[in-house]
Amino acid sequence: MVIRIKYGKTQEGRFLSHLDLMRTMERAFRRAGLPLAFSEGFNPHPKVSFASALAVGVTSEGEYLDVELQEEISIEEIKARLSEALPAGLVVLGIKEVRERKKSLTALINIARYNIRVPLEDSVKDEEIFEAIEQLRQASEIYVTRSGKRGTRQVDIKQGIFRIEGKIDNSNLELHADLQTGSEGNVKPAEVLAALERQGRLFSGKQPRIHRVGLFIVERGEVMTPMEC
Amino acid sequence: MESIEHILENEILPKVTKPLRYVGNEHNSVKKNWEEVKLRFLFAFPDLYEVGMSHLGLRILYHLVNEKSEYLMERVFAPWTDLEAILRQENIPLFSLESWRPLTDFDCIGFTLQYEMSYTNILNMLDLGKIPLKTKERDETYPLIIAGGPCAGNPEPLAEFIDVFVIGEGEEVILEMLDVIARHHEVFGKNKEKNKLLDTLASLEGLYVPSLHQIMHKEKRIVKRVVKDLDESYFPLKPIVPYMEIVHDRIMLELFRGCTRGCRFCQAGMIYRPVRERSGDVLKEQARQLVKNTGYNEISLTSLSTSDYSGIAELTKSLLDAYEKQQIGLSLPSLRVDSFSVDLAQQVQRVRKTGLTFAPEAGTQRLRDVINKNVTEENLLEVAEAAFYAGWTHLKLYFMIGLPTETMEDIEGIAELAYRVLRRGIEINKEKKRSKQPKITVSVSSFVPKAHTPFQWQAQDSIELLMEKQQYLKKRLKDKRISYNYHEAKLSFLEAVFARGGSELSDVLLAAWKEGCKFDSWTEHFCFDKWLKAFAEAGVDPMKIANEPGDIDTVLPWEHIDYGVSKRYLWEEREKAYGMKTTSDCRYGKCWDCGVCPGLDVKLSIKNKKGGGECGNQN
Repeated sequence: MVIRIKYGKTQEGRFLSHLDLMRTMERAFRRAGLPLAFSEGFNPHPKVSFASALAVGVTSEGEYLDVELQEEISIEEIKARLSEALPAGLVVLGIKEVRERKKSLTALINIARYNIRVPLEDSVKDEEIFEAIEQLRQASEIYVTRSGKRGTRQVDIKQGIFRIEGKIDNSNLELHADLQTGSEGNVKPAEVLAALERQGRLFSGKQPRIHRVGLFIVERGEVMTPMEC
Repeated sequence: MESIEHILENEILPKVTKPLRYVGNEHNSVKKNWEEVKLRFLFAFPDLYEVGMSHLGLRILYHLVNEKSEYLMERVFAPWTDLEAILRQENIPLFSLESWRPLTDFDCIGFTLQYEMSYTNILNMLDLGKIPLKTKERDETYPLIIAGGPCAGNPEPLAEFIDVFVIGEGEEVILEMLDVIARHHEVFGKNKEKNKLLDTLASLEGLYVPSLHQIMHKEKRIVKRVVKDLDESYFPLKPIVPYMEIVHDRIMLELFRGCTRGCRFCQAGMIYRPVRERSGDVLKEQARQLVKNTGYNEISLTSLSTSDYSGIAELTKSLLDAYEKQQIGLSLPSLRVDSFSVDLAQQVQRVRKTGLTFAPEAGTQRLRDVINKNVTEENLLEVAEAAFYAGWTHLKLYFMIGLPTETMEDIEGIAELAYRVLRRGIEINKEKKRSKQPKITVSVSSFVPKAHTPFQWQAQDSIELLMEKQQYLKKRLKDKRISYNYHEAKLSFLEAVFARGGSELSDVLLAAWKEGCKFDSWTEHFCFDKWLKAFAEAGVDPMKIANEPGDIDTVLPWEHIDYGVSKRYLWEEREKAYGMKTTSDCRYGKCWDCGVCPGLDVKLSIKNKKGGGECGNQN
């Protein structure tokens, strides 16, 4: 059977990289005594596939993975055993059986929703912030620098910013953003912050708090969670 | 005002590389209530998290102490330079992983001494913890600074910094030591009468208190503590499972302790005597629990020379049978040079492919006899053949250069041996119609004379000579199917200085640390010039320590430290080395009277077959 697990990364788990997370999950599955199915080949590995990676330092309440098991087990039992086996920092939020899997999670998911809290520069006025956000909305293109294996390059992220709203709370900017993720492209919250910063000294330089609210699938204008499809 | 914890978590750790090194919270880590315990002990590993967490000793001591309700143990590792810079700039003291408390909040801090080149990190960690470096500068209000591990075999270079050294196997003495400290606190109050406490600690077997030794106990020998029965000894069955990848990221099943093959350069082979095995049944049960409690997909059969375990074939088969279905593999980190080992390794391949590494150590039979590495050229070629036939195409070979009596002929012998192995590989690949070329990796380290070994009196080759030998091999091993690597000779030189030197090195260490030396075993940080400056400042000639031989009358800096192996035996072994006479393994016959069993009232313990040596056996 294939099961889909919705899980969260708390404050304590937010420094796990994607690789750390993959290792940690496999070990938790093993401790939970789940009968993992393995790939064929030279060095067989468990059949686990993750939705889009979460950046180091970011918390989340809406991450997903699919895992294949050799035997049928009740969802309640899996949930109980896995909750017990997960280390601090990771929590199970939901499990369902995936009966017909047409596409992988990365191919399905195309939106990541974030809440971002950024400490503001003391002297900055509220209007300047709203102005900067509005500029971002109006811009026809927004170039950011990405570094990869072949050096750095300029990428336009405008089409990947689906929604961006902000309000001021106690010298912090609270941003809500829907950003593109998945096999079609990815926009990182840090890139959006960098684009805002370019419009003047807005932020204090203290670390922002980034929280992923969830991952969603938009198909023909309809928004679904990976648990609903 | 934000708390330090808050600042660390929200402002500092997001900026450093691998923040998981510092946050703890791993599965099976232990967080205790500070108010409910009598003593708080901090285990300090003077290197990075991923190195320290791979250390079996830490796993054993951490869980042993934490299983006692009256004590707690937390961990601290050396912070990488990026975090260190921020801590210094923000004036934040180094903190423990579990409770994020500063070092000064603990009653005791125990450093493990795994290699000499971590010593500067010890000073750096104390300093980052805002603890005065020298024993005499620390009053009762500071934590007691303890150190143990293999390098405690020559404690003098650190004697000015450490309050108490633990000689021998830590799990045997740590609770006794904590009981004494706790009782002292009850009687005299916390942080009172440090000298009285040290005096009581000095009376415990296996503990060395340098500050009192010189004045009061000059004649006293400090005899190592030893676990007598491995089946009865503590072993953690719920070890910490790190989030981030560590160097040895797997279950460690400890098959046995000690090794009596008797390689004359090997410190581990002398200081961990006698051989004590754990029973197969105990190991299988431990494996079962460790698999269940960790979720690891690999079990490492840990010991010195793993294939020497008396029940190795049966144990390997039984573990593979039990865990193959779950894709849990085995690894055999240290294999003897014989075809039996290749059979074992082949078994292990059932689940996971591994590389094969063998250590002939020297290039000629003459020199292998000198060091008592009882391996012949036929053994090695046989092994290589068996491995190539079994399907391996890549073999790793370990050698050492700078060994006593070595000539350029022996160095040439390394190259010839490598080529002979390579040629066999080419032939067999041809025979088997494989298109793949064989590959041989030749790793060459430099001999470092170590305390408590037959070669403790030996001079190390000069840096220049070591480099000449390294370059010779580099020229000889130019074949593209051979990859050749060697250790930094200057680092080996410093290791020899700290392995053989005495208390005069305290000043050097302090000066080197002030020059900025730290993480010396990390190539990107090692700076020999700073060390040379430190030696000059302290007025110590390092070459006199590393490059001049001693003789039987030489008073060695570790004369008062006793691992049970007699000086007479070590000297006899040294003499036999020069006569190219070998010494057999006492597990399989004659006892050579090294002194360990009668001296420490402990027995060689082979759990899985009849016969074998018994101490005093003269046949």
